[in-house]
Amino acid sequence: MSIDFAARSHDRLLSSLVEAFRAYGAILGMVAVFIVIALIKPSFGHVANIENVLRQCTVLLMMSLGLTLVLAMRGVDLCVAQTVDAAAIMSAGLLVHGAPTWLAFTAPLVLGVVIGLLNGLLTAYLGIPAIIATLGMMFVVRSGELIYTHGSDPQILFTLPDSTTQVFFFLGRHTIAGVPALIVLALIVFFAVYALATRTAFGRQARAVGFNVRAAYLAGIDTRRVFAAGFVVSGVCAAIAGVAMVSRTGIAMPRGAEPLLLDAFTAVYLGTLASRGGAMTIPGTLVGTLFVSFLSNGLTMLGLGAPFRFTLNGLFILLAMAVGALRRPH
Amino acid sequence: MITSPVQDRRPATDIATVLECRGIRKSFPGVLALDGVDLSIRQGEIHAFVGQNGAGKSTLVKVLTGVYAPSGGTILVEGKPVRFASPADAEAAGIVIVHQDQQMVGQFDVTRNVFLGREIVSGGLLDFKTMRAETEAALSRVGASFPATALVRDLTVAQRALAAIAAALTRAPRILILDEPTASLSDAEAEQLFAILRGLKESGVTVIYISHYLDEIFDLVDRITVLRDGRLVSTHAVDETSRQAIIDSMVGRALSQLYPKEPIPLGETALTVDGLSQGRKVRDVSLSVRRGEILGIAGLVGAGRTELAMALMGAAPRNGLVQLHGQVSRPSSPRAAKADGFALIPEDRRHEGLVTELTVRENLSLPTISRFARLGWLNLRAERAWTAGLIERLKIVPPNPRQITRNLSGGNQQKIVIGRWLSGASKVFIFDEPTTGVDVGSKVEIYRQMTEVARAGAAVIFISSDFEELVGMCDRVAVMRKGHILETLPAEGLDVPQLMAIATSGEPADRADALEDEAAVGRRSLGALLTRWGTVIGMLVVLAAIGIAAPDFLAPKNVFDVIKQGSLLALIALGLTSALVAGGFDMSVGAVSQFAANLASGTIGGGLGMAAGIGLGVGEGFLAGLLNAGLVLLFRIPPFVATLGTMFVAMGLSLLYNHGQALTLYDQPKFFFIGQGYFGPIPFIAILLLIVVAILHMLFKHTRTGVRMYAVGENLAAAQLRGVSRPRAVLASFITAGIILGFAGTVLAAYSYGASALATGFDFLISALAAAFLGTSLSRTGELSVIGTAIAAIFLAGLANGLVLLGISNLALPGIQGLVLILSILLGVVHKRGIGQVLIF
Repeated sequence: MSIDFAARSHDRLLSSLVEAFRAYGAILGMVAVFIVIALIKPSFGHVANIENVLRQCTVLLMMSLGLTLVLAMRGVDLCVAQTVDAAAIMSAGLLVHGAPTWLAFTAPLVLGVVIGLLNGLLTAYLGIPAIIATLGMMFVVRSGELIYTHGSDPQILFTLPDSTTQVFFFLGRHTIAGVPALIVLALIVFFAVYALATRTAFGRQARAVGFNVRAAYLAGIDTRRVFAAGFVVSGVCAAIAGVAMVSRTGIAMPRGAEPLLLDAFTAVYLGTLASRGGAMTIPGTLVGTLFVSFLSNGLTMLGLGAPFRFTLNGLFILLAMAVGALRRPH
Repeated sequence: MITSPVQDRRPATDIATVLECRGIRKSFPGVLALDGVDLSIRQGEIHAFVGQNGAGKSTLVKVLTGVYAPSGGTILVEGKPVRFASPADAEAAGIVIVHQDQQMVGQFDVTRNVFLGREIVSGGLLDFKTMRAETEAALSRVGASFPATALVRDLTVAQRALAAIAAALTRAPRILILDEPTASLSDAEAEQLFAILRGLKESGVTVIYISHYLDEIFDLVDRITVLRDGRLVSTHAVDETSRQAIIDSMVGRALSQLYPKEPIPLGETALTVDGLSQGRKVRDVSLSVRRGEILGIAGLVGAGRTELAMALMGAAPRNGLVQLHGQVSRPSSPRAAKADGFALIPEDRRHEGLVTELTVRENLSLPTISRFARLGWLNLRAERAWTAGLIERLKIVPPNPRQITRNLSGGNQQKIVIGRWLSGASKVFIFDEPTTGVDVGSKVEIYRQMTEVARAGAAVIFISSDFEELVGMCDRVAVMRKGHILETLPAEGLDVPQLMAIATSGEPADRADALEDEAAVGRRSLGALLTRWGTVIGMLVVLAAIGIAAPDFLAPKNVFDVIKQGSLLALIALGLTSALVAGGFDMSVGAVSQFAANLASGTIGGGLGMAAGIGLGVGEGFLAGLLNAGLVLLFRIPPFVATLGTMFVAMGLSLLYNHGQALTLYDQPKFFFIGQGYFGPIPFIAILLLIVVAILHMLFKHTRTGVRMYAVGENLAAAQLRGVSRPRAVLASFITAGIILGFAGTVLAAYSYGASALATGFDFLISALAAAFLGTSLSRTGELSVIGTAIAAIFLAGLANGLVLLGISNLALPGIQGLVLILSILLGVVHKRGIGQVLIF
């Protein structure tokens, strides 16, 4: 009997190990990838490089955070990268035309709200599938950018006198107590969205809408408003990301952020690996963003460019989802 | 408790037994649904199954038709033991069933629905002529007034029932099972059905007939089997028993179960409902409930009770006057009804009550969450304290507020759905079948909570098919049948057989109702006309307007240019359409075609010849399709994400293959002819497009595979009931898509003299999406169609071309295309009032 008992507790240990591996194995895998890269290319692990990647990934992080909320509600926002661009162009355009700096920071946010409201109206209130509505909006916003910039004339800030741009560039190029201001901003946005998702009535209702919209509706939740609000949050996050982007690079042009759209999807889906049940979470998206960003940086340092990045991104998404499928009960 | 089956006294030797059950058991986690059923059905009889809801009738029928595998026991058909793995197996053995509210594919016509799963094929193509003729014959047999070409989604509930019965008849059943066939039929239609069943009996077909209406059963059947609590109580020959005896054995002896009913002094009238109607499900219902009163709504499934609850809760459009304490309540949504003081405990607690992925605490506070929030910010401590109190009060087990509710027992789940309304703000509680699938202990707890809310001064409406609990708990009971409230009786002195007798009576159904439905089908409103032709008219107007403003637009040369430009996009969009028909999605369309273009260019540029290039391109597409199908089917990855991954991989491989360089081809006149050549004035690529459209159209509309792909995409449940395999349909759909995309890629290479270095796959994807979805608004049924997609793609090319001719800068082009896309979809969806969630993730 005692042997039997020992065997059983051994089994239990094993199964809890397997359980833990299932839950967090993917993250270990991600870390392992980075260790391998750092061994081949030690400069990958240097503080300067890490800080550089962290600063770069803030734009992707902020736009992915809003996208996570929308995707978790079973919506989709294909317009999000275009919103980043539109906000960046608006911000830069205002400065170029001599508008005050505070307006260059705030007006793009209003634009983000408007784009989000339109997306929310089209999907939640008119019932157009999100994939079509946000695709259409993406075209409309792109046209607006093209017309404003007379066909992709970049809005260039670094040729402006220092006095006009000094305050604006602070966000993108300076540090607060040794930490780059961009990272501080990204952390603020991260905690704000995290709090929104976990500590507010909206966040709770959004989860209910994502899991079971019928039950949420019958429990007296205004499902349309909640669904629409997701797009507004996404629009605002993207707009902040746009302002941050132009403040870092000093240049804005149509379709500049478009490649980030696919990266954002990758970040959100890879982020599902970081939660136990394979759900989309805000911290998960942070993990996904970091992984995507460091992977692309590492591959570049290894001399492996876009082709490998695309291929590996694809394989990692598939791996993440396959692991998720195995984790779910049948 | 166990009553031995009453043996028929006639000798059994002269009548053959066609179907026999020996000791059939079926258990579900926690429930024994069938407990040792022994049954024999004779050749050529009409045999009724009766019993209360939950007695095990439908479980037994599902075991007999291969939907469920029995947990124990044997089924014998003509004395031979059989084992049905699927409904198709049962059908092969001659057992055909017509389900209550049979699932059908709304976008298909009656013919396709009737023959789904057993299509008649001649020479590889569907033989519509024969199938239509057979369908017409079966429809006229059941006295249907609609043609075989009518779309099922345009039929009324009664007409659908007739179509389902017609479908069963064309299967030449040896044993025909009908589950509540008359629930939605008018008397005339029911009479016609009975005549058909008697005719079938004459010709030796055995009929198993399930119904709640005892009057029609006594008219129709030879023998009656009564089931109760998963056991077979008795089998009677119809001329040796009586209505009363059957009701008595359905109900059983009065259980000694204690109902915690307490005398509560009734207050003033709280809820008054006057002439409430909801579609044809609830008709002219009037009732009133006083404070502290429990009003039971008795009735069988389909009587309109749930619809009544939904109408009161503002979840369904309605007519009539509802007053709550003298205030008119006219809620437009459950949220408004909640504010008025209504609380609903829905019938389907797993799908309509709980959000099973959320925790106990989150579910408990779901409707009242804003009470715990100040400016939207949650006071988690207050919420925790409140839910902890509820968990204790309701005795929820385990008493862990952070437990996910999915795996709780039915009783505990139900307590949560009730508990969430106990904040004291609700004045009317509607309990819809609160005790189904709930253990006895939890039942008592639920009754106790019901008494509690009544004592606190709320009005309670208690909907149930368990008449015993209604008699035990209610002050008054209203009996509903076919949408009407027949009688409202005081519970005092009421007994179950009495209620059962009213609920199962065959009172004449309204003749006017049937006429009303006929009229509804005939009606063709202007709105419907616009929905059907709006997009087409819109497109023509746009093109005509451009043509008037810029006459060059309609010049033949320009028209052929447009067609040439549009054809390439059309090919890629057709690939996407192929992936979409079986309910899939394909993010990888652009990337896969681009990879194919690279492979073809590289191969041909390397001097391996045109055939090798095209072959490699198409082969790559095929493999990509196979990969997508494998990811979706084997790993159960949602199509959107699976193909997103494939997209990245294909983009990466393209760049690895071309080393980031454009693969430009020179001196390949034969190959370039594919993309750039002309036959007279006609671009060759347009001819290719026509051929591909023709092939795909034949595949989708005129082959068995195609019809099944559509059925799986449109209504998976209906398709599976007919034995259609989802994996096969999904595989076929992705592989078709892959081959088309591979081919489109090679044409792309010929069109653009090689392959570009840029990863433009995403742009192709977006244009293809626009074309495919715009194409859906061109077809009669709003479904994906090959021809619609091709026309839409060429229209989009024409729009771009025309706007440029008009002098509109190409800066505004994407915006106008975006608006066209949104508006075209809007026409089709705006009346559905959904919220645009994307269910493919």
